[in-house]
Amino acid sequence: MAQPANPHAMAPSRPGRTRTAPPMKPGNWPSSTRYRTYLAFDFTGVIYLLAGFAVLGAARAFAKGPEAWSALLASYRSPLWLLFHALALASVVFVGVRFFGLFPKAQPARIGPAKPPPRPLLHAMLYAAWIGATVLLCAILGGAIL
Amino acid sequence: MSDLKKKTFVVTRFDPDKDQVPKTQSYEIPCRPEWKVLDALNYIKDEVDGTLSHRWSCRMAVCGSCGMMVNGEPKLTCKTALSDYGDHVEIGPLANFPVIRDLVVELEGFMEKFKAVKPWIIRAKEAAPEEGPYRQTPEELAAFKQFSMCINCMLCYSACPVVAQEPDFLGPAAAALGHRYDMDSRDEGAEERNAVFRGDGTIFHCSYANECSEVCPKNVDPAAAINQAKLLAVLDWAKGFVVPRKGAK
Repeated sequence: MAQPANPHAMAPSRPGRTRTAPPMKPGNWPSSTRYRTYLAFDFTGVIYLLAGFAVLGAARAFAKGPEAWSALLASYRSPLWLLFHALALASVVFVGVRFFGLFPKAQPARIGPAKPPPRPLLHAMLYAAWIGATVLLCAILGGAIL
Repeated sequence: MSDLKKKTFVVTRFDPDKDQVPKTQSYEIPCRPEWKVLDALNYIKDEVDGTLSHRWSCRMAVCGSCGMMVNGEPKLTCKTALSDYGDHVEIGPLANFPVIRDLVVELEGFMEKFKAVKPWIIRAKEAAPEEGPYRQTPEELAAFKQFSMCINCMLCYSACPVVAQEPDFLGPAAAALGHRYDMDSRDEGAEERNAVFRGDGTIFHCSYANECSEVCPKNVDPAAAINQAKLLAVLDWAKGFVVPRKGAK
């Protein structure tokens, strides 16, 4: 069942002489896989907001001293934290894959004299940068470097 | 006649002189297997109910007149095969548009958005006719050709979640058309259009849902055009801090 759109959507700046029926949203949105994927993409913003608070909490514990930091690390072993971090990881992967899929076509054919690389190469470069950054971060956090 | 199959069409009806809100009306008609959705509507109009109003013209996906919602999704009805649907087909006016009558929507708001992006070649100084046409290489043409294939069918506006919520949003087809001229090597009006693109309610409201490109019957890919235009508009804005704009004192 279609829902009403904004009543002024696509309306002319001055109303015409004929009375019109208000605009409706597409009826297929609630059941459309594409549209649900788009909403899920947007919903990940909520996950990142919560993750942001979690990072602030971690910084606060770090500032308080070793005991608070150890307590925080211990709390991360609870199933709720594990579930949240798994959800956050899934969100990052989902957003990354969707963004990397859409990013290459958002590059203009030329910017002045400069041209972007071919789309498949650009796509591959994005994944290479992502994997490279992840490996580097894991190496730093794991104590392998620095 | 044995290849005729009956299908039920639930069509949105709205008479501005009688109805407060749109209603639906069902028609059961015999359909040929090769019919498009538009053929069924024309059959209803010609043989069953002459009061039904809908727009159509070329019947070959060129004029962009016959865009409607078919089972809740924006479609060009002359290009949409009935065989892709079951025995029950719902047809409504394009979503996100005010409805004038039955399946006919108000176009004036769309036309205003089109004019806003100055969809013509802008030159700082027009060349004299005796200097000949502005020439262009195939490579220069390729930079914008895809975006010039738009037939103004408005399906992209019907599919766009931002259009549904934000009346000021420029929308997919108009933004793609503006970007088409910005990418045209003969044009010198990118600065003017970028100012429009950066204005209130314009391309930066696009959240890249990509629905416009999914429903486009001509593979114009308006979502790509809008997001390319975003980048160029930002670069143009940044350039304004370094290079004085034309007309600036």
